[in-house]
Amino acid sequence: MIPDVSQHGSAETTEWKPVENTPVIMFDRVSKSYGRINAMNSVSLGISGGVTGILGMNGAGKSTLFKLMMGKIKPSSGAIRLFGTDPWKNPAPYSRVGFVPEHEKMYDWMTAFDFVTTFARLHGMTREEASKEATRVLSFVSLGDVMHKRIGQFSKGMRQRVKIAHALVNDPELIILDEPLQGCDPLARTTIMNVIKELGAMGRTVLVSSHILHEIERITEQIVILHRGRILALGNSHAIREMLDQHPHKIELECDEPRKLAKSMLAIDEVTGMSFSSPTKLLIETRHLGEVHKKLPSTIVESGSKVTAIDNPDDDLQSILMYLTGGAL
Amino acid sequence: MSEDNGNSEPFEPVESKDETFGAETPVTGQTKMQAAWSASDEESSSAQVATAPQGQIFEQIYQPWEGTLNPRWMRNWSILRHHILGIFSKGHRPWNLPTKLFIFFVIIASMTDVALALLFGMIGEPTLYDIWGVNRDNLYGHVMGFFPRNILYYPIVAALLVGGMISEDRSHGTSALYFSRPINRFDYAAMKFLSVALILLFIINGTLAVYYFVDILVMGKGWAWIIDTFPMFLAAFVCGMILAFTYTSIGLALSSISRGRFFPAIGLIAILMGTRSMAAIINALFDKSLLYIISPYDAVAHVCQALIGTEMTYDHPWVWSLVSVVIMNGLALYLLANRVSSLEVTRE
Amino acid sequence: MSSRMDTIWSKLDRKSTAIAEFTMRQYRTRISTWVVMIASALALFLMLLFYIEAMNTEIESIDNDGDSFDTDGDGYPDGQERLEGTNPDSAESFPDWVEPDPPEKWINEDDINWEILGDGENYVGDDDDGDCTNLDTSSQRDGNDNGRECDILVTVDALNSTITVDADANVDEDPDEEKYGKEAGHRSFILGIGKFGIVYLLGIFLPLFLATGLIREEMSEGTIHYMLAKPIARGELLLYRMLGYIGITWPFIISVCVILCLITGFTGPGEGFFRWSDIGVWMSIAWATMLVSLVYGTIFCGFGIIWKNGVILAIIFAAWELGMAFVAIFTGGDSAIRYMSVIGWGMIIVDAGVAISWPDNWQLIEIGLWGGGHGEENWLGEMAYVALPAAEPLAAFSGSPNLGVSNWLSFLISTLVLVFQGAMFWFIGQSIFKGKEVD
Repeated sequence: MIPDVSQHGSAETTEWKPVENTPVIMFDRVSKSYGRINAMNSVSLGISGGVTGILGMNGAGKSTLFKLMMGKIKPSSGAIRLFGTDPWKNPAPYSRVGFVPEHEKMYDWMTAFDFVTTFARLHGMTREEASKEATRVLSFVSLGDVMHKRIGQFSKGMRQRVKIAHALVNDPELIILDEPLQGCDPLARTTIMNVIKELGAMGRTVLVSSHILHEIERITEQIVILHRGRILALGNSHAIREMLDQHPHKIELECDEPRKLAKSMLAIDEVTGMSFSSPTKLLIETRHLGEVHKKLPSTIVESGSKVTAIDNPDDDLQSILMYLTGGAL
Repeated sequence: MSEDNGNSEPFEPVESKDETFGAETPVTGQTKMQAAWSASDEESSSAQVATAPQGQIFEQIYQPWEGTLNPRWMRNWSILRHHILGIFSKGHRPWNLPTKLFIFFVIIASMTDVALALLFGMIGEPTLYDIWGVNRDNLYGHVMGFFPRNILYYPIVAALLVGGMISEDRSHGTSALYFSRPINRFDYAAMKFLSVALILLFIINGTLAVYYFVDILVMGKGWAWIIDTFPMFLAAFVCGMILAFTYTSIGLALSSISRGRFFPAIGLIAILMGTRSMAAIINALFDKSLLYIISPYDAVAHVCQALIGTEMTYDHPWVWSLVSVVIMNGLALYLLANRVSSLEVTRE
Repeated sequence: MSSRMDTIWSKLDRKSTAIAEFTMRQYRTRISTWVVMIASALALFLMLLFYIEAMNTEIESIDNDGDSFDTDGDGYPDGQERLEGTNPDSAESFPDWVEPDPPEKWINEDDINWEILGDGENYVGDDDDGDCTNLDTSSQRDGNDNGRECDILVTVDALNSTITVDADANVDEDPDEEKYGKEAGHRSFILGIGKFGIVYLLGIFLPLFLATGLIREEMSEGTIHYMLAKPIARGELLLYRMLGYIGITWPFIISVCVILCLITGFTGPGEGFFRWSDIGVWMSIAWATMLVSLVYGTIFCGFGIIWKNGVILAIIFAAWELGMAFVAIFTGGDSAIRYMSVIGWGMIIVDAGVAISWPDNWQLIEIGLWGGGHGEENWLGEMAYVALPAAEPLAAFSGSPNLGVSNWLSFLISTLVLVFQGAMFWFIGQSIFKGKEVD
């Protein structure tokens, strides 16, 4: 084979093809133990399409999940399939994956452009292709004007964006982001979350793991909750919340005459409990959040009270997580 | 937030002068908004206070510390203790297992001459005992013998000891643990130096002492013999100190310019073995022993030969080797001092 | 399965160049790379200074046969008197028909001139000063009884590598020390520096500093995840990193050898302005170092992959190879244990190169060790000859390939063995790397 030293022209397509009609990621009763420590315990899940949040406390198994997915470690039992192929000792599926690792260390001496092009060429691109793609992805993450500066001079948020850019350079179908918001300031977080949302909207499968729950719930409702190596819940976050029967939904209303309003609320059948958390607040409990919300406006108007705020204090991921894990850390 | 002053909800205007925002006001967990919103040029400005219980905040009372500081030697002793005790007990500097095993192995291996001297002495083999027993050449050989001590044992022990001494503090930022306390940089460097040197000394001179004293005790040597040989023993002891000092200073200098654990170790071995090999080649080719002065081992060996009084194996004057030893140590210590004084109190 | 292979072991040129270029740039940013290279260059330069000093120092010319003295004090040196037929012990007898020779003419006048020695009996030697041909009887002139007068009988037993010299009286007895010493000194310097300084020291220390951390450092710092999450096999990754390592070390080795070749070629002894014959030797030194550093590189990189403290294994291995280097160099190709090492094969390459470029090397050594035949019988009854200057170092540092085949074939075989060793260690390294769980 004569080496293509000039490396002009476009790259050929890869010969490896993903298996049809399988979820992008599939875990089948996967367990992983390190000696006596069970990092993962019989986890089964299938993920395809859209943005999925992987949530959990520290030590829940999020990193283990990603390492198993990326073929970095081998499951003690069970099967893992990435595009239908087992990723252990087989890096072929990675041509369709973009992985943004958690580690902070990067090559500070490289420019962002160099960094992205070097790793682009590992996908088999020629120099021209790699430059083109690098420019495209770096502009996508809003680093187009600084891409020829050294990474060592970048801020944390910019470095995260470079990492994301390098993962996008091969136009992957699956993008995995391990703690992408770690250490970023709020502005950088917003930028990165917007990028992730866009990617999901483009039809890619995006997996994001994070601790910052309120940011995750802003971009997706698909979540997987891990705790101590097991899946506690997976699916739509609101649906999960609905299913938590022991913890009825709360609606908090702020008004000037809560007792007067309370009398009117009693008329709603779905209301199961009421309390006065403060002289100006009325806390309603119900198992049917949607129904109550439908009837709420008319009831308020009928009562004639002046309501200044309506809130669902526990319909967020934080509460879900707390309820599911029993508040344990 | 641009609330107009007229809107009394949810703010309660504060009239009392007790609501101040000075330093003596305790932090109570009530949110307060500055009076700036309503500030006017009048004397009495009202502070708008919105209170909402937010949780527990500790009451911090800051006072200057007027306790007694332990004396400097005690602080330094704790550093020394931390490094040395880590070799054989938990709760101190964690040396890794290969290092500890190798130190143990070298101590045992250094005492082969003790074992052989005892063996042949006790079974009554005079010629063999003469080969291994305590005499001028064997005292020199215990410290400076080339094979296997100074090619396999002592340099590698020194390399393992100095490897991460300062470079780990640089790369992990643990130098902050030292410099955020009342320890000055000279003490820091000196105690680290001393810990390595003492361990090396223990290995080299400790085993030398065992050799000498065991020979006296077991073979029943008399006072005349002791008086004869004690100066030689002392000279060998001093040589061991010079050797340990030299290896330590070169090794620590390397450790202070590196960020990893391995570059100093390999660097030390490269310097020791490389310079010696180069000088040996030149000596074999051109019969000139002058290049040996750049080899730390040979320079020290030459000085030791002069001190102990054994046969000189080099052609050039031993004073040149002494000067070389001084210069090598001086350069290494200068480099070490320079690097430590510019150590960042954070991860480098 | 074949579809998998196509994807990862594909587009080798693009992936390999990407990683190799990246690795070389990474080396350039590291201070340790520069320190190692500059330090080794300085060390070699320092040794070169000794060489230059030695080449500029005159070697004392010794009148081995003593015929430059004027025993009878008649103004004519003894050698001249013998040549002209007068009595060197009697002051009245002197050749007044010729001018008296200066004493220097009778120092180093009977140099050793042997043609290329072959196996079996060789009749060599020339009586340049005539003190053999002027002997009275035929039996005196043919002291070694080989039917030829005033010659030297050299018997070479190639099978047992022994050589016996039986010289007629006064033949080749006053060799030119300066000429021999400079030539032998020059060659021994090249061999000593080449084999020990360059092939061993450079060949071991470059990989020790540069190759041990190739994969291990990336694993410790966490940057390996960028490389592992791409569709390339881990074996590929290892291979391309080694390519980058070669891209840095091989040019350095070549430049060092070229510079040394130029300097020693121009300042070395000889009639021409440049010693062309040395080029072959330097090339073989460079080639041996390149291959040896490649093999050590794969081994040390493998040690780094296996164990976090892999450097300790590397140091132990280097100590083993040092022993092997000593065996290989100083037994000159007689020991079979060198086949069990890496450096032994490197030395065979150098020896083969020497045998090709300096075909008279072995002979030069034997000439020097014989040194004109002066010496005393030791207690065993053997002659202990006084060697010419630099003959012993040359003998010490020279060796022969000793593979039983021609020199070119030895060269080729050693190259193949080293390449095979490198490939084998790469394969072992990548197998371990493939099955390694990376956190």
